[in-house]
Amino acid sequence: MARSSKPVKAATTRTESKKSKSDQAEQPREETLVGRSSRTAFALLVAGLVAAWCVTEPRPIAENDLPEHSPDVAAGEQVFWAGGCASCHASQVDGKRAKDEKKLLLGGGLELDTPYGVFHVPNISPHAEDGIGAWSMIEFVNAMQHGVSPDGRHYYPSFPYTSYARMTVEDVMDLKVYLDTLPSVAGRAAIHALDFPWTLRRGIGAWKWRYLSAEPVMKLMSADTIVERGRELVEGAGHCGECHTERDRFGGMIADRWLAGAPNPEGPGRIPNITPAGKNIAEWSVADIAYYLESGFTPEYDTVGGSMVAVQENMAMLTKADRRAIASYLKSIPALSNQPVQ
Amino acid sequence: MSYSTQFRIIFLTITLAFMPAALADDDPRHERHELMEGVGKAAKPVGKMLKGDSDFDVDVLMESLRTWRDVSMVFGDLFPAGSETGNDTEAAPAIWEDRAGFEEALGNFRDATAAALAASPTTLEEARPVVGPIFKTCKGCHDTYRIEKE
Repeated sequence: MARSSKPVKAATTRTESKKSKSDQAEQPREETLVGRSSRTAFALLVAGLVAAWCVTEPRPIAENDLPEHSPDVAAGEQVFWAGGCASCHASQVDGKRAKDEKKLLLGGGLELDTPYGVFHVPNISPHAEDGIGAWSMIEFVNAMQHGVSPDGRHYYPSFPYTSYARMTVEDVMDLKVYLDTLPSVAGRAAIHALDFPWTLRRGIGAWKWRYLSAEPVMKLMSADTIVERGRELVEGAGHCGECHTERDRFGGMIADRWLAGAPNPEGPGRIPNITPAGKNIAEWSVADIAYYLESGFTPEYDTVGGSMVAVQENMAMLTKADRRAIASYLKSIPALSNQPVQ
Repeated sequence: MSYSTQFRIIFLTITLAFMPAALADDDPRHERHELMEGVGKAAKPVGKMLKGDSDFDVDVLMESLRTWRDVSMVFGDLFPAGSETGNDTEAAPAIWEDRAGFEEALGNFRDATAAALAASPTTLEEARPVVGPIFKTCKGCHDTYRIEKE
């Protein structure tokens, strides 16, 4: 954008100066007006470009901004399951979802077919060239919470950093040292095949300006440490809103529809409403929800289905207390009807 | 109206009343759905016992085990060609694409149930290790061979 704006500026100035010499005698008044309005338009254009440039600039944080924290591998493993990293990044096995210990082979390669084009999930194993093994702590934190790659480019929000931005930096640091312990996997995923204009990464800056915030979605009415922990898990690492919240036409989550269900991105039907007005959350107790996340069984002993299967298996790896916290949070948020946005 | 005419009307009414159910039961999509509902109903009280939400009841457990065994014996026959879609079936195309895999998943359910019946547990402690594996086979099969309908 900067490069193209310079020639435009030069050309405009040249035309103006030529005109003013030859036409001055015949139409002095009109020329002044034209000159003034085109100067104003030009000034607005430049101001607009400067503003757009500033707004769309990737904004990583500096190494000094990291808190004093000795990262812990065991805590990082819990963050790994809460964050559902394996659901997208574990390489498929014979074209099927990885199971059990294969979930720790984070070679990527999964294709996400979206309205914007096809995303190819990258390798985040500790492989030095193909994965993220060579990344520093600050590079990892910037990727996870600010959506900025080590070479300073925006990531597409198909990588749910909009949610991860709400995690504590300490959790992200723990996750990094845990990921470092996993097996190294060779191989790089294909480059995203997106439709224009989504190919212009710089534009994501504007999207972030509007949608990326570390602030919690829900303000809690009372200080309840369990609900607060649930909020941290649901709104942050768990990134539940990414599927359960309807999006606006720019792909940003609609805050007023938080967790009230959304069209299923992978096929027909809808992702369920998990506010207290949603059928399941209304009828299930906190214990029922926690047991569902642990075992995959509903209170009627039907089993979890669809894309929630992988999520439930991740939640099963958390502590009982954390599953109860998630359930308590879901029971505490505002009840919203299933009515989709028109 | 003679007694026999009255009888005939009652007989016909009853027959007609049950006709839709009788017809529907010829539909494997309906039959397998009903059987699976029964499996879930049988699981509920057993799940509660395992969780400690209700007292251990050996009769209820054995009843459920028998229900599961009966279903596991016939369930695989209810997926003939032509019943792949329609009637709100939640059967996944994978059943017909990978029949061997489906039979194996169903076999796991049958084997686990048979093993639990053979063990015939009389206490919660005895039940846990033999009933737990049955529950695992539900999800093991659903993950691949059932599609999610809202």
